[in-house]
Amino acid sequence: MEIEKLREEIFEEFSLIKNLSELEAFRVKYLGKKGLLTSYLKELKNLPLEERKSLGRELNELKEKLEELLKQKEREILFQEEDRELEIDLTLTGKKRDLGNLHPLTQVIEELSQIFIRLGFEVVTGPEIESDYYNFTALNIPEWHPARDMQATFYLKNGALLRTHTSPMQIRAMLERTPPLRIIAPGKVYRCDADIRHSPMFHQIEGLMVDEEVSFSDLKGILTYFAQETFGEKTKVRFRPSYFPFTEPSLEMDIGCVICETKGCRVCGGSGWLEILGAGMVHPEVFKAVNYDISKWQGFAFGLGIERVAMIKYEIEDIRLFFENHFLFLNSFK
Amino acid sequence: MRVPISWLSEFIDLRLGPEEVAEILTMGGIEVENIDEPYKNLGELITVEILEISFPEDLKDLVLCKVTDGKEVFNVFTTAKEEVRPGLIVGLAKPESLTFGYHKVEVKTVKGYKSLGTFLSPYEAGVGEEKSKLLIFTPDTPIGVSIYEVLNLKEKVLELAVTPNRGDVLSIFGVARELSLLTNWELNPPKINPFYSQGEDFLGKIEILDPEGCFRYAGRYIKGIEVKDSPFYLQKRLWLCGLRPINNIVDITNYVLLELGQPLHAFDWEKVENQTVIVRKAKKGEKVLTLDGIERILSEEDLVIADFSKPMVIAGVIGGETTGVSSETKNIFIESAWFNPKYIRRSSQRHKITTESSYRFERKVDPEGVILALLRATELIFKITSVETFSKVLDVYPKVFEPPKILLTKTKLKKYLGFEIPFKEVEEILKRIGNIDKKSEEEIEVIPFSYRQDLSIPEDLIEEIARIYGYEKIPITLPKSVLKAKGLAKELKLEKKLKEVLTALGFLEVITYSFIDPKSLNKLNFSDEDFRNNFIELANPLSANLSIMRTTLLPGLIEVACYNFFREINSLKIFEIGKVFFRDSQTLAQEITNLGILLMGNRGREEVWYEEVQRFDLFDLKGYLEELFLVLNLPIQFKLNSSEPFLKKGLSYDLILEGHKVGYAGEMKNLVLKEFDLKTQVLVAEIILDPILEKISLETKAFKRPPKFPSTFRDLTCIVNKNIKIGEMLEYIEELKVPYLEEVRCLKIYEGPPIAKGEKSVSLRFIYRAEDRTLRDEEVNSIQEDLVQKILIKFLAKPR
Repeated sequence: MEIEKLREEIFEEFSLIKNLSELEAFRVKYLGKKGLLTSYLKELKNLPLEERKSLGRELNELKEKLEELLKQKEREILFQEEDRELEIDLTLTGKKRDLGNLHPLTQVIEELSQIFIRLGFEVVTGPEIESDYYNFTALNIPEWHPARDMQATFYLKNGALLRTHTSPMQIRAMLERTPPLRIIAPGKVYRCDADIRHSPMFHQIEGLMVDEEVSFSDLKGILTYFAQETFGEKTKVRFRPSYFPFTEPSLEMDIGCVICETKGCRVCGGSGWLEILGAGMVHPEVFKAVNYDISKWQGFAFGLGIERVAMIKYEIEDIRLFFENHFLFLNSFK
Repeated sequence: MRVPISWLSEFIDLRLGPEEVAEILTMGGIEVENIDEPYKNLGELITVEILEISFPEDLKDLVLCKVTDGKEVFNVFTTAKEEVRPGLIVGLAKPESLTFGYHKVEVKTVKGYKSLGTFLSPYEAGVGEEKSKLLIFTPDTPIGVSIYEVLNLKEKVLELAVTPNRGDVLSIFGVARELSLLTNWELNPPKINPFYSQGEDFLGKIEILDPEGCFRYAGRYIKGIEVKDSPFYLQKRLWLCGLRPINNIVDITNYVLLELGQPLHAFDWEKVENQTVIVRKAKKGEKVLTLDGIERILSEEDLVIADFSKPMVIAGVIGGETTGVSSETKNIFIESAWFNPKYIRRSSQRHKITTESSYRFERKVDPEGVILALLRATELIFKITSVETFSKVLDVYPKVFEPPKILLTKTKLKKYLGFEIPFKEVEEILKRIGNIDKKSEEEIEVIPFSYRQDLSIPEDLIEEIARIYGYEKIPITLPKSVLKAKGLAKELKLEKKLKEVLTALGFLEVITYSFIDPKSLNKLNFSDEDFRNNFIELANPLSANLSIMRTTLLPGLIEVACYNFFREINSLKIFEIGKVFFRDSQTLAQEITNLGILLMGNRGREEVWYEEVQRFDLFDLKGYLEELFLVLNLPIQFKLNSSEPFLKKGLSYDLILEGHKVGYAGEMKNLVLKEFDLKTQVLVAEIILDPILEKISLETKAFKRPPKFPSTFRDLTCIVNKNIKIGEMLEYIEELKVPYLEEVRCLKIYEGPPIAKGEKSVSLRFIYRAEDRTLRDEEVNSIQEDLVQKILIKFLAKPR
């Protein structure tokens, strides 16, 4: 009977345990070396065999049960302990980390390059300081040609000039290679012009493909693919006849305004179309300048402004933003 | 070029509205940039009602009118005393508007009376001839509305951007002709009464001394004319095209130029000495006072029209003051010529003048249009002034223009376009641009019309065929080609890798101008012999601060730092990869690619709350560079104390690759930054990439196998003299070649109490590992003990 009372007592006391120190006190009180249960167990040896057996079993069961409960209780308390109020201001923001980032123009150049790399075009580069010959004459723009007015040129005091377009790369690439060839040439170009639409330094990508059969229809195909890869699958394109001294026939490609979807808006000047690039079949005079056999080879070339593409893609109105390099501007192209 | 629809419709039966016509031209390759409404551009020209009139004495001849536009009541004064009366509705040009006569209206104040605008005459409103009367409206006219709305005046003008090959489209008739080509709408070419081809024998002389410069020169004189203002309809057409009226004769030459594209020039025939017109090269040093009031010194490269003794005009470019038509002129000589475009361009460029005339000559006029224009001008002169006598046309045309014969084959056309247009259709198209001769089912010979000076090779014909057939109808295909692939060039791979690593390290890429301010090189304190002073100057820079090609990326980076710092961006971590340019005696320039890095402000953000804000220091910069060199596998060394004049010597390094300097890194001198107007500290580095490119291998590196057995470490904290460099200690330890020692790290350096002055406490951690087993403690202890002893002795260190 005594054991029943003891058990009740023990469980009642157990239920009152609230923290680790009370738990420890409880353990010492009952299960410690001098604990109540321990001392009962020690006294068993003084009892007659029968009694020792039954009481012993009960006491041992009680002890095991208690140990099990204590273990559970301890885990419970430990969990609770970690949920306590820590007096930390959780309203603080996270510690900011600045991601590194490429300049938006680099991103666009990379994106456009990848499109042509997928089509097997090789990326080439060339000098930014050019001779009159490579920049104009070899491209069928002799000295007296009024087409020189289309590109306000920066001249250097040593007689050279800053390339006004990436087209000299056509000449250099053809001289360094034998046909067939497929190249793109991204890079900086320069024109004396500065306002919100023109920067004295900007970027272009030149493309050139020379092969035996490559045709005007193929040019349309490549450019359409390019436009839809760059501006989205549903992008509309249109081709207008144009004039560049180094291509014949020449064309300009417009894309359906990405803002108004060819309905006409402020961005496209109400026309519904945005001018994207110039292109054409390589002029025989250009092939002559690099000694390619015009009875065998023909090809197309195209050139486009990177800033123009970036401005359309990101709806940027002022070209100068690209070269002011404001932290927040650069940071917004992640 | 401006093409008024009303004028255009004189030559072609326009079957669609201006917008549709613009679309057809644009899609045909003659881009219409805008459809202008010139009346709208004048500004606020509105109807107002006169409420009251008064004649203040102090205003003398002026009448003060109180008027209203229906919203406000204000005063306007006028000289038209007789006409104004209350209740009258008149036209008013409000301040800031522009009248037909190019008069800018302003608020006028006389004796304290303010006039908020000017009443319009029909002429100033651009609606009629009358200059001295007021434009008066019927009493039922609504007030406060645009006078053009009331008069229902809607002039629309197409603004064309004509490509430089199409000189034949630089006229109203030329545009009509082109439109007819694109649409097949009926063309009404100008017809001249044969009467104007007649006239008395030409008493005088025309001589071409330079047949290279002038292919054809025609002229006639017309005597007994009266120079006065042109009639309104003529002035209006000039005005619609953006030209100012001058006098009837000059206006007619301009009118014909606009209409037919053939520039004309009128001389005062009495001022042409000996009635002799000579086309020749100028003599060096000859002078001519041109119509823009500038005395021009001529060279042998200029072609002039001269009389017996003096050059009169720069041929095809600009007229001369002394022989020009003035109000006293009675007899005129009109020139119509075909000059060599190259000559015209050369003079126009040399003298920096582009005129309506030079613009057209440069872009090639129609050799067979010369006479027509002369006759047309004669006709117009007869129409608007009296004429006493006129001469026959004298046409000096030594070598008649021979148009090219272009042979086009069916095969070539198909191969070029990538598809086949029925040959019948091709023939039809070609007939509209020239005379054709079908040689066979395969070949056509085309002789383009004389005005189509842009057509000379088969490819030109292919463009015409494609253009007239319609670019839109040409199929879209992808090229068939032999597969040929090539990887990225090494320099592009290096750039790409650098960009990858730097952005991974948290840098932002910037792009700055390739031209810089020469002053920035002075600020950087370079010595005269410094290679960065070997820069290239622009001949025509946009401004002085963009006048040389950069020889270092630093000025650009500092400018970005300044730009941001002024805009409350105090911290930056940026890089740029770009070219720098040097003068070179052998080539046009030496172009070298550099990498520039700049750190400004704090390492992290400012909001660190309970911790200290950490500013970038030299070891941040060094750490980034070390990481970069590690990834690129580059043995670049940091040579202490850079020689760069803009870096603090004690906080900088030169970067050395195999004995050669390839860059620098360090903290900028405060004085330099002050001169750049930057009020914060920055750390910079710049590396020349070209030598690195030679050394670097961008091939796959062998991977590092993770160790199989655990490492164990021992720490040593000792006190050494403050002057002892950690680098020296680490180097010494490395040289000892201690067995199993994998790495030594300097964990902590401490100076200050309780450490004695002049000393510092250094904590080093030694990491030991064997490749093939777990090291035993005793083994490591004995190695470490031995090592510690050596260190203590070598650096006179005390263990702590």
